Amino acid sequence: MVQSKKQKYLFLSFCLLPTFIVFCIFTVYPMLGGLYFSFFDWSGTSSVKEFIGLDNYKQLLNDSVIPKAILNDYFFVFVKVFGIMILSLFFAVALTQLRIKEAPFYRIVFFFPNIMSVVVIGILWQFIYDPNIGIVNSLLKAIGLEQWAKPWLGDMTWALPSIAIPAIWAGIGLFMLLLMGGITSISKSLYEAAEIDGASEWQQFWKITVPLIWPQIKTSIIYIVITSLNGSFVLVQVMTGGGPGIATEVLGSYLYQRAFEDFKFGYGAAIGVLILVISLLTVIILQFILKKEKVEY
Amino acid sequence: MIRALSRLAVRIPLLIWSFIVVFPLIWMFIGAFKTNAEIFASPWALPQKLNFHNFVSAWSDYSIGSAFANSLFVTLLGTLLCLAFSIPTAYALERLRFKGSEILLNTYLASMMIPSVLGWIPLFFLLLKFNMLDNLWALSLIYAVSHIPFTIFILISFMGNVPKELEEAAAIDGMTPYGILFKIVTPLVKSGIITASILNAISFWNEYFMALILLQEDSKNTLGVAMDLLKTNAQYESAWGVLFAGLCIAVIPVIIFYSIFQRHIVKGMTEGAIK
Repeated sequence: MVQSKKQKYLFLSFCLLPTFIVFCIFTVYPMLGGLYFSFFDWSGTSSVKEFIGLDNYKQLLNDSVIPKAILNDYFFVFVKVFGIMILSLFFAVALTQLRIKEAPFYRIVFFFPNIMSVVVIGILWQFIYDPNIGIVNSLLKAIGLEQWAKPWLGDMTWALPSIAIPAIWAGIGLFMLLLMGGITSISKSLYEAAEIDGASEWQQFWKITVPLIWPQIKTSIIYIVITSLNGSFVLVQVMTGGGPGIATEVLGSYLYQRAFEDFKFGYGAAIGVLILVISLLTVIILQFILKKEKVEY
Repeated sequence: MIRALSRLAVRIPLLIWSFIVVFPLIWMFIGAFKTNAEIFASPWALPQKLNFHNFVSAWSDYSIGSAFANSLFVTLLGTLLCLAFSIPTAYALERLRFKGSEILLNTYLASMMIPSVLGWIPLFFLLLKFNMLDNLWALSLIYAVSHIPFTIFILISFMGNVPKELEEAAAIDGMTPYGILFKIVTPLVKSGIITASILNAISFWNEYFMALILLQEDSKNTLGVAMDLLKTNAQYESAWGVLFAGLCIAVIPVIIFYSIFQRHIVKGMTEGAIK
């Protein structure tokens, strides 16, 4: 290529600089700013911003909502990882390996919730659970289990699992597609050989399918964990706002309430840092747990 | 025989799950045509007659119409801006070796791991300072920037498949690097661009929390925020039919969009993007 060094650098800057500048302003700065704000007592109004060192963090340790919120966050993580992985693995295997004619139909339908807004999903399910007009209670009534009917989202024990169900409902399609991609790339001859050797379908699943799509399984689990810790508060905020009491509060919804409803921006920022630390630690630990030698046949 | 039976057994969970996915949507759709009395009478019954009054009311009385237009605006502008920022950078990172390219790529990728909640408070005050709160152009820009790393990630994997010889031949013919990028490489990664843009557009259309924080006037609301507001009002006024109609207005465009482009989504998921 005939071009001067100067031209080359000009082209490189054209490609990289504008993007990097907006990235710094709207992504890097806010994240560093979040760290910085967490050392201040700040109501957001005017210039009253007082440096208080680690006081926000000390307050975090003594805040009785925080442990409950962390526990609820992990409740969502566990229920979503197990619920989504078991169902989507089952569906992925069924749709790729059992030669079901109408497989594309299921593939398209199961993905529907993934394209819907979390707000829409939250509102829709709020009314599915509604004690007056909802379908859950009316279904229970119809099959004679009227005594089980309850205001699901207003119940101290049932509110949290009731939010976890739409979270799983909305997650299946995406991970099913991911796993299907992994399964279709496994060579057919492996299964044929296993068949000749007399391996049952169950053995084939555990000895061939699972080890060979382990990378996809691992990616999916990590992705579910990250999105759950960083995002399940949207559903919480829409469906219950953390209530009843603090029964469904998670860190993200608590941050929103403290910062944008009570105007404690410094404290909100400290909760943000806590979310960051928790999700990074969880992912690092998870990487260790899920570590497994790559299998090739 | 056993195979046929087991295939039948497998269909049962598939059918049950289809029902669980589709039934709430049908219920929502039917509810949109019902009067309040009908909704309270039975959640299962069909409406007496087909009336579109709920849709009209949601669209104009509860400003779902203007929210629809606002969402369309931020979705289109956000998607285009995101491409404009991501295509040149993805090309430079994939094809032009330079000092620090690894570090830059890893910076972009690592930022995807960081919870965006952390940045919302400073972002809010940044926009406040520059008088850009309540501004749909600013919101589009922020959407675009928030999806730059993801878009770069997808485009790089598609650009890796473009044969280098094409670029070399074009350079020998005297084409400038700008020409090579926009006239040769960009058209060749069209399917990557489409995949990334579909996924970006769907998340911008559905975004709720940043819009909630960064928009203030009702006339500027995007669909997510307007729907949440409509829900609150509907609870006071028991306007359930209108609420269901609003949900339908928010969901139906995405379902149509998805049905048209679902092949690309599946392709992007299973081939290039995530390995």
